[in-house]
Amino acid sequence: MAHAVDVRIRNDISDMGIVRDTLDKLAREFRIPVRALTQLQVALDEVVSNVIKYSWSDGGQHEFLVRITVQPDRVDLEIFDDGREFDPVTALLPNHAPEGQPRPGGRGIHIIKKLVDRFAYERIDGRNHTTLSKTCEVGAAVQRSEK
Amino acid sequence: MNALSIGQTRAGGVCIVTLSGRIDSTSASDIMAELTRLISSGEKSILVDLGAVLYLTSAAFRALLVATDEAERKAAKLALCNLAGHVRELFEMGGLLDVFAIHNSREEALKQLAGPHAS
Repeated sequence: MAHAVDVRIRNDISDMGIVRDTLDKLAREFRIPVRALTQLQVALDEVVSNVIKYSWSDGGQHEFLVRITVQPDRVDLEIFDDGREFDPVTALLPNHAPEGQPRPGGRGIHIIKKLVDRFAYERIDGRNHTTLSKTCEVGAAVQRSEK
Repeated sequence: MNALSIGQTRAGGVCIVTLSGRIDSTSASDIMAELTRLISSGEKSILVDLGAVLYLTSAAFRALLVATDEAERKAAKLALCNLAGHVRELFEMGGLLDVFAIHNSREEALKQLAGPHAS
């Protein structure tokens, strides 16, 4: 059995700390190796900050869901948002972006692709659903939670 | 926990900025602000020591790129040193090892930054 935690945050960069701390807590609880945790934290920051910055352009407050699931052999990060349609997986590589110009895609997405083992996107019922999976050895605690 | 902290020391004419902790989308703007402040205040040689950084994200790279451009505009030098482990890997992944002036150690960087003007 997997162990999933749902975190609902606002499209405010200060809420990024909530998901970061949740991942840290799960890493301690399930003894996720430091190297995998570091890579997951970077990938999580890239993908969640992209949603915060670019999914909504109306200046209003929106909420979206980040789900972190610890599986016996990997960690999944899922982001569900009802912002504008954006597929990060097929976004352009940084070579095509003007230097120093923040925009969806770019260097962050290039880095995500190197950090995780699976990076997938679907548009379902007007929502973006982005999934990142990192294969790693998960400690004994997850075995206990399976019982 | 492991929040970003920014320290500052001086070695001759070089201003050394020591970063530690995580540099992500919530903290990268602090680095950009500090580096651009130093450049605006007239610093001509800035060395950013990344030896105690746990990890950094593209927001941090963007901040360092902006600061590097700003330094060039003001005829100042900005270099990085002590990229270890995860941090070096992330620079590699971002294709950024050739974009910055990167030195293995603080000593090596200080020699380079002091350059022909060293006494």
